[in-house]
Amino acid sequence: MVQVTGLGKSFGARRVLDQVSFSVQPGELVGLLGPNGAGKTTTLSILATVLAPDEGTVRIAGFDLARERTAIRARLGLVPQSLALYPSLTALENLVLFARLRGANAHQARRLCAEALDEVGLADHAQRTVGLLSGGMKRRLNLACALVHQPQVLLLDEPTVGVDPQSRERILNTVKELGHSGTAVLYCTHYMDEVERVCNRVVLIDHGRVVAAGTVAELVGLAGGRPRIELYFQTPPPSRWYLELSRVSELTPSPSPNHTVLEFDSLTRVHELLRRAQAAGSVLEFSVHSPNLSDAFMALTGHRLRDEHESG
Amino acid sequence: MIWRTTRLILVNEFRLLLHDRAALFMMFLAPVVIIAVAGFSLGNLYGVRPDRGGYVVALLDQDHGVVARTVRDALSRAPSIRVRVVSSLAQARQLIINDDRAPLALVIPAGTSAAFAAGGKPAIELYVDPLKRLQAAEIQAQLVQIGRHLQIAAQARAQHQLDLQSTALRAHLEQLAAGARTASSQADAYVRELKAAQKQARSRAQNAIRRRLSALRSRTQAAIDRSVAETKTALAAELGARQGAIAALTQYLRALQRSQAEFQSWLDRLKQLAGAHADQIPPPPTWPTAPTAAQLAILSAPIKITAATPVLPPIDDSFNLPAMPIKLPPPTQTPALSDLVPTVTTLPGTVGWNTRSLVPGRPQVNSFDQYVPGFGITFLLIDMLWGVGVGLIDEREWGTLQRLRAGGAPVPGLMLGKLSARLLIGTFQMVVLFGVGWLLFGISLGPAPAMLLVPAAAIAFAAGSFGLLIACVARTRDAVLPVGSVVAMAMSAIGGCWWPLGFEPAWMRAVAMWMPTTWTMRAFNDLMIRGLPPSSALIPGVFTFALGLGYLIIGLIGTVRFYD
Repeated sequence: MVQVTGLGKSFGARRVLDQVSFSVQPGELVGLLGPNGAGKTTTLSILATVLAPDEGTVRIAGFDLARERTAIRARLGLVPQSLALYPSLTALENLVLFARLRGANAHQARRLCAEALDEVGLADHAQRTVGLLSGGMKRRLNLACALVHQPQVLLLDEPTVGVDPQSRERILNTVKELGHSGTAVLYCTHYMDEVERVCNRVVLIDHGRVVAAGTVAELVGLAGGRPRIELYFQTPPPSRWYLELSRVSELTPSPSPNHTVLEFDSLTRVHELLRRAQAAGSVLEFSVHSPNLSDAFMALTGHRLRDEHESG
Repeated sequence: MIWRTTRLILVNEFRLLLHDRAALFMMFLAPVVIIAVAGFSLGNLYGVRPDRGGYVVALLDQDHGVVARTVRDALSRAPSIRVRVVSSLAQARQLIINDDRAPLALVIPAGTSAAFAAGGKPAIELYVDPLKRLQAAEIQAQLVQIGRHLQIAAQARAQHQLDLQSTALRAHLEQLAAGARTASSQADAYVRELKAAQKQARSRAQNAIRRRLSALRSRTQAAIDRSVAETKTALAAELGARQGAIAALTQYLRALQRSQAEFQSWLDRLKQLAGAHADQIPPPPTWPTAPTAAQLAILSAPIKITAATPVLPPIDDSFNLPAMPIKLPPPTQTPALSDLVPTVTTLPGTVGWNTRSLVPGRPQVNSFDQYVPGFGITFLLIDMLWGVGVGLIDEREWGTLQRLRAGGAPVPGLMLGKLSARLLIGTFQMVVLFGVGWLLFGISLGPAPAMLLVPAAAIAFAAGSFGLLIACVARTRDAVLPVGSVVAMAMSAIGGCWWPLGFEPAWMRAVAMWMPTTWTMRAFNDLMIRGLPPSSALIPGVFTFALGLGYLIIGLIGTVRFYD
C-alpha cells in the first residue's frame, strides 16, 4: 500500500533524509521510530503530500506521489502531531469541514462524521466547542478528522501525546481496529510500548537514514540485547562471586557493595543465578529485565542527547 | 478542487468569525467606541461640535455698551460656545481652572463701545488658560469672525450716515452753485459796464490833455521868444562896454611892446658901454610876452549871438490812460458739483471671507464624516491582520493548514477562500460602521450611498492582502502583531485616516500616495464630505485595488514559499 524507495530530502545544506526505503502493506501497522531530528516528521510530511522529496519515489495505494497527488490525498488520512483542529468550532463542524474538503456532500458528510465520532467515542460531544474539550478528547477528535473519509492509508504522528490513559487506550484500540480492517498504518511515536503493542513492524531511522527495520523481536535481536538481573544483598557478597557461571558478566560497576547487576545469555538461567546468589549471601530483592524495543532503540541510536528538532 | 476549497474555506471563515467573540468585538464594537471617542474629542478640529455642551467662555462685561452686547449675542449664537457672564476676573479665573470646557475669559473693558464708536481701536482682552491653548485658539478664530462682523456692522452704520450727510451736502452745494452762477452773471455785466465806462473816460481825458498841452506849448514858445530877445539886448550892451576897455588894454599892450624893444636897445648900448664889465652886468628881468595883435583884436571883436528859438518836444496826445487801479478778476467759473462734493463718500471696507463649499458638499464638516471611515479603515487593517495574518499563522501552528493541504486543498484555493471571506466580511464591517455612523452620529453618506461600497470593497481587499503580506514578512504570531499593528497604524495615520492629509509634510504626502488607505480616504472624503458624483470614487478605488493586488501577489509568493 505504501512503498517508499530511496527517499532523500535536504533543507539547504542539511541532509534530512538519505536513501530512506520502507513499505507498509494493507492491514499492516508499521512503527516509524527515531530520535528527535532523525527525519520522521519529514518522512510523514512527504507521504502526506505536503512536502516534495528531492529524490526517491513514493507510491501510495498504487499511485505515484510525484504525479498523482490528488488520487493519493483522497486515500490518505493524516493525524498530525499538533491538534489540527479549529478550536472555536464544534467537534462536528471540524469534522464536516474536513469531510467536505474530501469531496463528501452535505448528507454524506453528516453520516461520515457521525461514524467517525462514534469510532473515537465522541458521539456525545459533537456539538461541543473544541476549545472546551479535554486533551484526550481533542486527540481523539484529531484522529477522527483523519478517519472521516475512511482512508486506505493512515499516517499518525505521535497521536497520544499528553492524553489520559483511557483516551490513549481508545486511540490505540482504534488504530489496531483500523489495521484489522485493512488500513495501512504508519505510526510515528516516541512511546516504545505503544509500538510494541500496536505495530507489526518497526522502521527505525536516525540521521535521515533507516538504521533498522523489522519486527520488534528482530530489532531487539539486532541490537544484541541480553537479559539482566539486578540483586540486592543484606551484606556485601564475596567479590566476583558469579565467576563460576558461564556467559555471565557484571554489567556496570556496582554503586554499592550490596548491589550487583549481571547480564546473562538466556532467561532460562534465572533460577540458576538466584541459587548461586543465595549461596553468596542473603538476597533481599531481585529484578529480571528482558531486552525490549527501548533497549534496542538506545542500542541502535546511542545515548547521546538529541536536542535538535526536526525540520519540516 | 480549487473552487470547492475556496467555497468551503470561505464558509468556514465566516463560521470561525461567528464563533470568535473577540474578533467580532474588534470588528464592530471597538471601532464604534474609538470613533465615538475621537469624534467627540476632536470634533472641534472640524468646526462643529457634535454634542450640545460646547466650550464655556467666561465674559466679564465692564463696557455695558453695544460692543459688549454684540459680542455676547454672537457668542451665544455660536453652536460650540456657551457664555457664562462673570463679575470679576477672579471669578473668571476660578471658572476656567475648575471647568475643563472653559479655555478662556473675555474681558470687555469700560469705554470699549465709546472708543469704537469714536473711531478708536479698543481692544477686547482675552485671558487664556495655557493648558487649553488649542481650544482657546478655536474660540479665538470665532472671536475674530465676530470682531469682523462687528466692524462691518459699524461701518455699515457709518456708511449710512455718511450717505445721508453726503446727500444733504450735495443739495446744499447745489444751492450754493446756483447762487454762484447768478453772482457770476452779475459780475460779468458789471465788468462789461465798467469796461465801457473806462473807455469813455479814457477818451475824454485824452482830448482834455491834448487841448491843454497845445495851449501850454503856445505860451511856452512865446515866453522863450521873449526871453531870447531880452538876452540878446543885454548881451549887446555888455559887450559894448567891454569893447572900450579892451581897446584901452590893447593900446597899453602895444605901448608895452614898444617899450620892450626900446629897453633891449638900451641894454645893448649899456653892454657896449660896460665893455669888459659887460659880463658882470646882471641880466635884466624878462619881459612877459605880450599877446599878439590878432589876439588882442579878438578881444575887442564884437560878440555875435543868434538866439535860436528853442524847439519844444512834441506833445504826444495819443498816450493811453493807465489801467484802472482796481481791476475786477475775471468772472469765477462755477465749479462742477462733483468737484465740490468730496469724492471719498464711502468708508474703506474690510476684507473678509464668506465660507462656501467649493463642491456640492456642506462647508461644515461633521467630525464623524472623517472618523467613521478613518477609524473604520484602521480597524479593518487590524482585523485583517488578525483574520488573515494571525489566522494563517494559527492554522500553521494548529496544524490545520497541513491537514487541509494533506486533504487536497491547494494553497491558492485556501488563500482565495480566506481572502474572499475577508473581503466580504471587511466590506460588511464598513457597511455596518457607516450605518452606525449615520444612525448615531449623523454622518453624510453622500449623493450615492451605494457607491461607498466601491472604496469599502477595495480597501477590504487591500487590507486582506496586507494581512497576508504581513504574515509572510513576520511569519510568527509574536512578530505579526507588533509589526502588523505598527504598519497598519502608520498606514492609517499617513493615509489621512486620523487627520486630514494636508496636515502632513510634503514628503509624507508623497509616501502616502503608495498606501491604499490614502486612496480609500480620498474616495470616502469625495463622496461623503465633498459630495462629489459617484464616479469620483472610481479612480481612488482602482488605485486601492491595484495596491492591494500588489500586496496579494507578494503575499501569495510568500505564502507558497513559507506556508506551502
